[in-house]
Amino acid sequence: MEKSKKAAPKTSFEDALTELEEIAMRLEDGDLGLDDSIKEFEKGIKLARICHDKLEEAERKIEILQKGDNSSNEVKNRRVAVKSDTGEIEDDEELQGSLI
Amino acid sequence: MTADLVPEFFTVSELTKILKDEIENSPNFTSIWVKGEIYNLTYHSSGHIYFTVKDEGALLSAVFFRYANKNMKFKLEEGMSVLLFGGLTVFEKRGSYQMNVHQARPDGAGELQKRIEQLKKRLEDEGIFDPSRKRPLPLLPKRIGVVTSPTGAAIKDIIKVALRRYPNIEIILAPAIVQGDGAAKTIAAAIVELNKPRWNIDVIIAGRGGGSFEDLMPFNEEIVVRAFYNSRVPIISAVGHQIDHPLSDDAADAAAPTPSAAAEIAVPLKSDLIDEIKYHLSRIENSLYQNLSDKKNIYKNLVSRKIFRNPMEIVNRRGMLLDEVENRLTAVMRSSISRKREKLLRIPDIERLEKGILTSKKHQFHMRLQAIEKMSPLNIMKRGYSIAEDSRGAVIKSVENTGAGDKIEIRLQDGRIRSTVESVIKGD
Repeated sequence: MEKSKKAAPKTSFEDALTELEEIAMRLEDGDLGLDDSIKEFEKGIKLARICHDKLEEAERKIEILQKGDNSSNEVKNRRVAVKSDTGEIEDDEELQGSLI
Repeated sequence: MTADLVPEFFTVSELTKILKDEIENSPNFTSIWVKGEIYNLTYHSSGHIYFTVKDEGALLSAVFFRYANKNMKFKLEEGMSVLLFGGLTVFEKRGSYQMNVHQARPDGAGELQKRIEQLKKRLEDEGIFDPSRKRPLPLLPKRIGVVTSPTGAAIKDIIKVALRRYPNIEIILAPAIVQGDGAAKTIAAAIVELNKPRWNIDVIIAGRGGGSFEDLMPFNEEIVVRAFYNSRVPIISAVGHQIDHPLSDDAADAAAPTPSAAAEIAVPLKSDLIDEIKYHLSRIENSLYQNLSDKKNIYKNLVSRKIFRNPMEIVNRRGMLLDEVENRLTAVMRSSISRKREKLLRIPDIERLEKGILTSKKHQFHMRLQAIEKMSPLNIMKRGYSIAEDSRGAVIKSVENTGAGDKIEIRLQDGRIRSTVESVIKGD
């Protein structure tokens, strides 16, 4: 139990979705006993929750990478606003053409 | 009229022969490059190619024989500007000359095309385009990296499509110059940058909108193709094109004909994913309830059986069974006893028989007893031996077990002697 809790955040969305589908198939086969059915059901609910959380993990942002100011090779990221209907970047600073 | 002198003349054949020898043996005409545009091109079924090369002022017939053209890496096309290598030959019967082409090269833009072909072949031999290398794209990328111009149409299209499909997606743009000299270097550098673990990118889209053949050239440059090849992060080539795809497409994990299409490939439709999860969830729910109700039905069927409605029936039924067994047993025993009795009546000598058995058993017992008696100390004493015992009745086996003054008893076959030890002598 402890182990699966620790492993949960590392589960990829793909893996969770695949397992969810497998559980659905196992349950649909109907060969499982009542206890196992309920166990699988609980596991399925947990996986669906993981999948859902993964979908919400990203936090809508657009960033542009830029060279650092003092001619160092360091690259920095800067968040910019975009018009979501046109995809246009709205930014006060001049957009640099490249990293080098 | 004076008879005119017949002037020196050539027959047509003679003249043509002279020209033929002159032209076909002269180094000036046997190994030459000719530049022109292709015209009246015919691919003959024999494999030979017939065409005319022309420029503003003249025409030249040409033939490209199969043995010479079979290794050509590009296809001749009407209007194409080419450089031809070969020699002139004279076709006597038609009084014409033509070029026998040994080698053809695209000229200008065609030259570029040929360079790409060469690079492609070299990289192909190196395994850079091996289709088995292509990795599947992640189903759910949290953050996508984009390599393109920050001001071009491509980035707008990608952002628009990506946000529409997945409103909370994260996009990191690594700006690059996507046409002209030096563009290739910036594209490669941007791909390398996005591959750094610190940016945590799940999939990269690198490309640009459509343009002329020359505009797309950076994506045919070796440094860019290698950057695609070396990308640790799965990468999509997204160069707008209609016919000829750039080499970056072949080195990428996936390729799209436009940046928008690349965004569609890279970014899943969030609502689809939600539907899929819901679908599996409902399957799980339904089948669990189905399972539960199946089990309930089995239980119901069981409890509705007569046996559960009237439990005493079990007892009664068992009781009946018991009675029946008892009856049968009694009957069996009765018949068995009567049969045995009949047997007894049929053998009157049984008493004598049994006596015989007894006699032999008695004899066996006697023999056994005799053997035991032989071993008995009493028997030994009959031969004159006796046993000495101390006052507690223990047998004295050694002089050590007794001493002067001890009261001992000596057993003989027919009685005992009570005595006192006078002295003990060890040894004989």
